[in-house]
Amino acid sequence: MVIGKDHIAGLLFLCFSVVYGYFTLQTQLMPGDVQQSFNAQTLPRALSIMGVVLSIALLLTAEVGMEEKFYFRNYKFSLVIQLLLLIVAFAVALKWIGFALSTVFFLASGFWVLGERSIKRILLVSVIFSICTWFMLTRLLDVYLAPGLLFDMFLGS
Amino acid sequence: MFDGILTGLTTAVMPFNLLMVVVGCFAGTFIGMIPGLGPVSAVALMIPITYGLDPSSGIILMSGVYYGAVFGGSTSSILINAPGCSSTVVTAFDGYPLAQQNQAGKALALAAYASFTGGTIGALILLVAAPMLATVSLSFQSSDYFALMLLGLTAVAAFSGQGQVIKAMIMTVFGLMVSTVGTDVTSGIPRFIFGNMDLIDGVSFLLLAMATFALAEVLMSVMRGEHLKSQEMDVRNLGSMKLTKEEVKHVAPTALRGSIFGFFVGVLPGAGATIASFLAYGLERNLASAKEKLLFGKGSLRGLVAPESANNAASTGSFVPLLTLGIPGSGTTAIMLGALIAYGIQPGPRLFIDNPDVFWSVIISMYFCNLVLLILNLPLIPYISRLLAVPTQILIPLILFFSIIGVYLVSFNAIDIHIMVFISVIAIFLRFLNFSMAPMLLGFILGDILENNLSRALAIYDGSFSFIWERPLTRYIIVVALLMLLVPPILGHWRSMKLKKYTKQITDRSSD
Repeated sequence: MVIGKDHIAGLLFLCFSVVYGYFTLQTQLMPGDVQQSFNAQTLPRALSIMGVVLSIALLLTAEVGMEEKFYFRNYKFSLVIQLLLLIVAFAVALKWIGFALSTVFFLASGFWVLGERSIKRILLVSVIFSICTWFMLTRLLDVYLAPGLLFDMFLGS
Repeated sequence: MFDGILTGLTTAVMPFNLLMVVVGCFAGTFIGMIPGLGPVSAVALMIPITYGLDPSSGIILMSGVYYGAVFGGSTSSILINAPGCSSTVVTAFDGYPLAQQNQAGKALALAAYASFTGGTIGALILLVAAPMLATVSLSFQSSDYFALMLLGLTAVAAFSGQGQVIKAMIMTVFGLMVSTVGTDVTSGIPRFIFGNMDLIDGVSFLLLAMATFALAEVLMSVMRGEHLKSQEMDVRNLGSMKLTKEEVKHVAPTALRGSIFGFFVGVLPGAGATIASFLAYGLERNLASAKEKLLFGKGSLRGLVAPESANNAASTGSFVPLLTLGIPGSGTTAIMLGALIAYGIQPGPRLFIDNPDVFWSVIISMYFCNLVLLILNLPLIPYISRLLAVPTQILIPLILFFSIIGVYLVSFNAIDIHIMVFISVIAIFLRFLNFSMAPMLLGFILGDILENNLSRALAIYDGSFSFIWERPLTRYIIVVALLMLLVPPILGHWRSMKLKKYTKQITDRSSD
């Protein structure tokens, strides 16, 4: 048997619905709520049952055509992984080196990852954009942006 | 009604709101033009900005962005055959061949006039239909609302295309499941928070919308290599934008038909601009003479005008269920519903009584959006379209930055960016499994309202589900929902059985 996208999707959602159903039953109810026709468990219970029924329906009706199989060749996964790692690094950098510098770092690395090779253009766009955004946020819109822990440590808060 | 129109006019003509219309239309056109990014992503990117505005200005800005993005999508469809969104896919069928025949300017002008006609006729019908429907829906009870929510959710699944119904339903259920995370609104009990106090208020709508639509869409377009396409065309020579009298006469009835047809398709929850544009194109092709039919797909003016007028009219039409019943008809209006709820405004029949300024100014500003698109954007198109020549390796990190910082500036918590990355990875994986994100977001937004109305209806009927068959309106709506859900798969199954039988007969005959 060939496993297609729909089979994987059906199986995953089946597991998810069962786990969701298990945690629904673990939800604590108010005393007296158990006898009520509608309580905090009613909708989640119905949803987990619907989830199980629908995923079984998907598993039963799944067809394996050419387009239903996974084809990875035409996709640029490494680019997306690099961009996602950059976003994570940006979130960490925000805390340590502050908004302006982390924006320069994020944009410059993003341009480089996506294939821009002119250093002059990379630096010009990222620095100007970062300064303009920082100025707009802090001076025009009066938004407080923390300077970053490293600056606090070396220069004092 | 005239009082309402006056209220809407006074709100919409306020200088700041007019500025929002202009800014929205321009921003929407820019974002919509980028291949792979459509109105949903454009409107999602605007949410953090609207948080700082008052409700009417915020919604006016979003409407402007919505219209602008549809218009921008047509521009990239015509110029580079890379539709910005699904509703402008059909525009490329005849628009791109026209551009290849050095008539890009004419195609863009026609698309703009057709969009204007569609938007104007749509706004006029909305002006009359919305208050009427809102008055009728004032008599709705909780049970009717519960049934309406079910109708909205099933309609989205029903219109999702053949073979996709179960998947759309799964995503709707998934969205409803995500909406149950956090404190239960009816009893105050925390659910599925696993001891994490960050989840006590539930999953943030802004975070979910930005991660699934803005971030995931940009990353998907990078993954598919769409960011490389823009370097392959020349957008400097668009040709003349003038139309002859004969051409206008030739396409005027098409624009009229497409607009009216598009509006009514757009009103159906879940159908939206994409289906409207495909249907209008099909209708026009069927109405064309045999000689003209041959031109379709090779640069027919009617083939360009029909989907363009229909998709704009449908975008207007999709506001009808949102403004009058509180049910979003599409992914974009779902995001707008979320934004309205964040303002503390509950869209629905009481909207035009409680917040007449929001209700009417949205309708009036739609007309202004159309005017702005025609008067400002059309002459500027040769310049705006140069954006397509800006290297996407520069544009994409900037868009990524806006979507991340939009979420960060609301909470100032870097953890939100990590959660966003996590959600967008899940969204990309689901997109790979051919799941659509719009039903998930719809389920997520409607989840709380559905649960509230169900609990209220059960309380009114002493804990019995008898309201489903005892209250006529609830019964009718549920029957329609069931029909919508069951008829298409049954018909599809019947057709495939018939086809199998027919092919078997033919093979039997040939073997004899």
